[in-house]
Amino acid sequence: MNEKFILRKDHLTGFLRKLSKGHRLVAPVRNRYGDLMFQVIDSLETTDLDLSEQAQESPKAFFLPQEEVLFSYEASGGIYDFRPINNSEQTVYFGLRSCDISAILYMDVIFLRSPRDDHYMKKRKDSILISIGCNTPGENCFCNATRTGPFLEYGFDLQFTDLGDRFFVESGRARGDEIFSEWPQFFHPVTEEDVRLQYQLALEAKAGFRRQIHVEPAFSKLRDDAVDTAVWREMASRCDGCGGCAYICPTCTCFTIFDRMESTETGKRIRAWDSCTHAGFTRMAGGHNPVDMKIDALRRRFMHKLYYDYSAFRRPSCVGCGRCVDMCFGGVDIVKFIDIVCAGTRKRTRDSRRILGDLLLEAGLISRTDLEKALSRQADTGEALGKILMDLGLVTCAEILGVLSLENM
Amino acid sequence: MTNSIEELRGAEVIMVIGSNTTEAHPQVARRLVAAVDNGKNLIVIDPRRTAISEFADIHLQIRPGTDIPLLNAMMRIILDENLIDDVFIEMRTENFSSLRDSLYTMDLNELIAITGVTAEAIGQAARMYARAQKGVICYCLGITQHICGTGNVESIANLAMITGNVEQSFTGVNPLRGQNNVQGACDMGALPGVFPGYQPVQDLETRKKFERAWKKSLPENLGMTLMQMTHSGRDGQIRAMFIMGENPVLSDPHASLVKETLEGLDFLAVSDIFLTETAELADVVFPAASFAEKDGTVTNSERRVQLMRRAILPIGKCRTDSDIIMELSKRMGYRMDYEDMAEVMEEIALLTPIYGGIYHDRLEKDWGLQWPCTDRNHPGTPYLHKYSFTRGKGRFVPAEHHPPDESPDSEYPFLLMTGRVYHHYHTGTMTRTSEMLEREAPRAVLEIHPDDAGSLNIRKGDMVKISSKRGSIEIEAEPTTRVMKKSLYTSFNFRETPVNILTNPAMDPVAECPEYKICAVKVEKVGHNE
Amino acid sequence: MINRDLITRNINSRNTSNTYLPHPAVITEVITENSQIKTFVLEFTDKTLNTNFSYESGQFVMLSVPHHGEAPISISSTPTRPGNIHLSVRIAGRLTTALHKMEPGMTLGIRGPYGRPFPVHIMEGRDLLFVAGGIGLAPLRSVINYCLDRTGRYGTMTILYGSRLPSDIAFRQDLDIWSTLPGITCLTTVDTPEPGWTGHVGVVTTLWDHIQISPSDCTALVCGPPMMIKFVLRDLAGMSFSPDFVITTMERHMKCGVGLCGHCYMGGKLVCTDGPVFSMAELKDMDIEELR
Repeated sequence: MNEKFILRKDHLTGFLRKLSKGHRLVAPVRNRYGDLMFQVIDSLETTDLDLSEQAQESPKAFFLPQEEVLFSYEASGGIYDFRPINNSEQTVYFGLRSCDISAILYMDVIFLRSPRDDHYMKKRKDSILISIGCNTPGENCFCNATRTGPFLEYGFDLQFTDLGDRFFVESGRARGDEIFSEWPQFFHPVTEEDVRLQYQLALEAKAGFRRQIHVEPAFSKLRDDAVDTAVWREMASRCDGCGGCAYICPTCTCFTIFDRMESTETGKRIRAWDSCTHAGFTRMAGGHNPVDMKIDALRRRFMHKLYYDYSAFRRPSCVGCGRCVDMCFGGVDIVKFIDIVCAGTRKRTRDSRRILGDLLLEAGLISRTDLEKALSRQADTGEALGKILMDLGLVTCAEILGVLSLENM
Repeated sequence: MTNSIEELRGAEVIMVIGSNTTEAHPQVARRLVAAVDNGKNLIVIDPRRTAISEFADIHLQIRPGTDIPLLNAMMRIILDENLIDDVFIEMRTENFSSLRDSLYTMDLNELIAITGVTAEAIGQAARMYARAQKGVICYCLGITQHICGTGNVESIANLAMITGNVEQSFTGVNPLRGQNNVQGACDMGALPGVFPGYQPVQDLETRKKFERAWKKSLPENLGMTLMQMTHSGRDGQIRAMFIMGENPVLSDPHASLVKETLEGLDFLAVSDIFLTETAELADVVFPAASFAEKDGTVTNSERRVQLMRRAILPIGKCRTDSDIIMELSKRMGYRMDYEDMAEVMEEIALLTPIYGGIYHDRLEKDWGLQWPCTDRNHPGTPYLHKYSFTRGKGRFVPAEHHPPDESPDSEYPFLLMTGRVYHHYHTGTMTRTSEMLEREAPRAVLEIHPDDAGSLNIRKGDMVKISSKRGSIEIEAEPTTRVMKKSLYTSFNFRETPVNILTNPAMDPVAECPEYKICAVKVEKVGHNE
Repeated sequence: MINRDLITRNINSRNTSNTYLPHPAVITEVITENSQIKTFVLEFTDKTLNTNFSYESGQFVMLSVPHHGEAPISISSTPTRPGNIHLSVRIAGRLTTALHKMEPGMTLGIRGPYGRPFPVHIMEGRDLLFVAGGIGLAPLRSVINYCLDRTGRYGTMTILYGSRLPSDIAFRQDLDIWSTLPGITCLTTVDTPEPGWTGHVGVVTTLWDHIQISPSDCTALVCGPPMMIKFVLRDLAGMSFSPDFVITTMERHMKCGVGLCGHCYMGGKLVCTDGPVFSMAELKDMDIEELR
């Protein structure tokens, strides 16, 4: 594993053609409205793949379709029979982003724990995942903060890096190596120059994020229940309960199950995407709803994504793809939430100011004069102390995270 | 809309009146929220505390049906404080003096008293809107579905014109049209007096143009309005009807009279994608194809004509609307030989000046074209009335307070308002068959102020009976301060609680739009819903 | 002190080829418990499965009703009496309304059992207090009969059962039997009396004065509507019951039963796989809406 080769861009179509023999090919294509979407490619001649940016939707729907038949049934007289259905097909996914791969790894944790979800497992077994690292992170991207990109160390079968006229291709799994050995004619050995260039691009990409988001501090605030009710209330007033955030989210896997009657004797059991922001998500038969208020639903949503999953798997179930930022009609995206949580309400800021300021003092990273300067600026602007200290060039983000995580231990 | 939806972002002050934007026009609401987040000001005028009102700088929670006095009060304040746009009034409008004189005869305190809102709040709103360089007004059915709907709209136009808030981008007056194609249906002449493109039926030249194209002589009289057709009673003038994609048994006011009218017909045919309450009364039902099974265009609220592509073939024996019409026409002796929808569009372009440059091939890319689009090279029109109003100069038409047709009395002491819920579309014909949407909103509730609920010993979840002069329904009560005292609110989307049995068919004399928004009712507790 | 880890996580699912595929089961008997509750006695059509089907008290199954989908239903029979399973169901929504119209001979679908059962091993040698309200007696019926069938392993047993009205009292057959057995105190109470009712009146917590328990030797199992659970837990804490020995069940909307669909997510746990049985000690650490 972790073999590295060069694939010339001219040879990409030929390579994909070989791969798509015996496999369905799924890759990003721009439709006539200008949206970039993952699509099944029927013909490589008539379809132009577009690897220029992150696709509008993640490939989630290929593994957990918006609607999926679990089985069909027949019910007549005393008979009630259930017939399993196979929804899977051998598929090569090409042009996934690092966040997409990370999201699939998260879904694996959910669906392949005991008991396994057979429908999901079949689709995963049938899949080959080929990703492309992001040389230029998108406008709302923050995978650096969630440690799910812009380039990955593992999780992919193959990872491509765009080096201009050629791709740097590395394998992350045995399956990737098999591809190298099955079609060696496409792959050339890497030179030292290629390795250096790839390393440099990955490094530059890390510096290219326009959003600076701090997931760890948000995690500790949620753990300590230090998020002011006013924040939750503000979020709740903006949520229309449309579920768009959950549908677009590559790691939101909640679903509902219902029967679709097709005749008086037959029907199908369907599973469909659901969202924890829907009012009916927790409503029980008879009407009682333990999570009756939107404020509770939103609290639950963000606690789950940023705290409970973090505690359980040491990683948030947010891969920093930024897709929910543009989706929400009321501006309740996870980025805004994290920002608000980290900034806190005025009262909270005062508390955390003392804590953070003292921590940095104790660690010898700033002087008391520095701190007072920053605090007086905070009194004027109301900005987060950490941000001010960074703006003043007194500490780095890593240093702040460092003292905060020491504090958390 | 005179503006484009996207333009709302750029306005300085947005005034929303009679619109539950978040639930009825979420795509507009998201622009409003974005504007507020960018520091723009929002004024909401609504008797209910709606979701969008939570974002407002000023929410004027007026008594239902007092829009005209409120707008007059605002204009009087603007006039008194000399915040009017003299140049605009002089150059672009006429009949200002009659509005001014009319406003001067009114007693400001009296106007304010009618609305039930404080003078201070009205003054604030008036100043905020008048001082804005770019002010936009959005209104919806809370304005039009009144007996004085025309007066309401004219008053809004008056307010926009005296402050010069029309004619540029990020200013204007915007009726938020419903659904994806109400605008398109009106554009295509689904109104009693006009051919496609609002060309009057009574105009000889126009009629000749259409007669030449259709090779038939066309009637010169105005047609009947919806209300005339559906409320004429068992022995009404109309004896046969063909209803396409409409469910008046649930959606029209005084629903029992509608049902009686339809049952009294000699012949009724209905075409719909599901068997609606109306279709159940029909002699013949045509199973129609859904949006996903046909090609064509829709025209939305901002006059944007968009191409829709068939995604799947029609299921079973259902047929597309155009197919049903063409086949019926053929059997009735008039051949309609359109190869496809592009050919229909070509005819529209040929006969309808505002659609003159709109062809399917031009709609292929991007998000369509906004009319007026007069020829192939015309880029479409994002906002109307750029240099002059359609009719030349904008005419001021003063309006006076016109109380609702039904006012509360000792027998029917509450005012009932009706509206819609986020999750359902109209009478729920389609949306209520969706497992998820039905789960989200399985029933209507009656919003009642907690004080009123308390005095009637009504708790959350209790079943209550609401009755008007025309009938009664039973519904679950939900005490909430979203409504004011003595006001009630519910949605008409649910067949189990057909609220239009209660509503008043009294209508605006000009637009003939019924007063859905207000009727007098009484409330009685009948039991507790477990 | 007994570690709460003794209540072990249990996902007792059989490895079928399809996680969601139910097994047909025939209704052999329908017992009308009251106007709202019926008990359905079921046998799997597959004889081998019927013989081998094993479960523990407190677990639930996902029950399929033709054209109405699935609902989680706790098993109200005891594994000590194999051969069939009992599901006691209160009418609540569409599925249960359809179910109540079904008769012996008709077929339903069942998959499971799922969920963590009652911790019967930590109850051994201790006095037992069962507090139930309404349909909440269904899962407790299972564990009560389980304990009765394993004679001599448990101390004294006290059963408190609250109903809204005398006519709402369900599981009368069981209550009648339990009342006559030695070593058992079985009291019922109603919120509102009806003519002819001579028993206790008041919510179930008004029965504390009528019983004798020694909290340090006793394990309490509480099951019923959220309000009842809230007040009973509060009172038991006041009586110095150890939180590890107060056991209750939580109810949530559920779709899959196997920890995937997310509906029953509650304070970082999933009711279907981490519950539905929880000790009060565990609940204290969780953020639960109705207990706030």
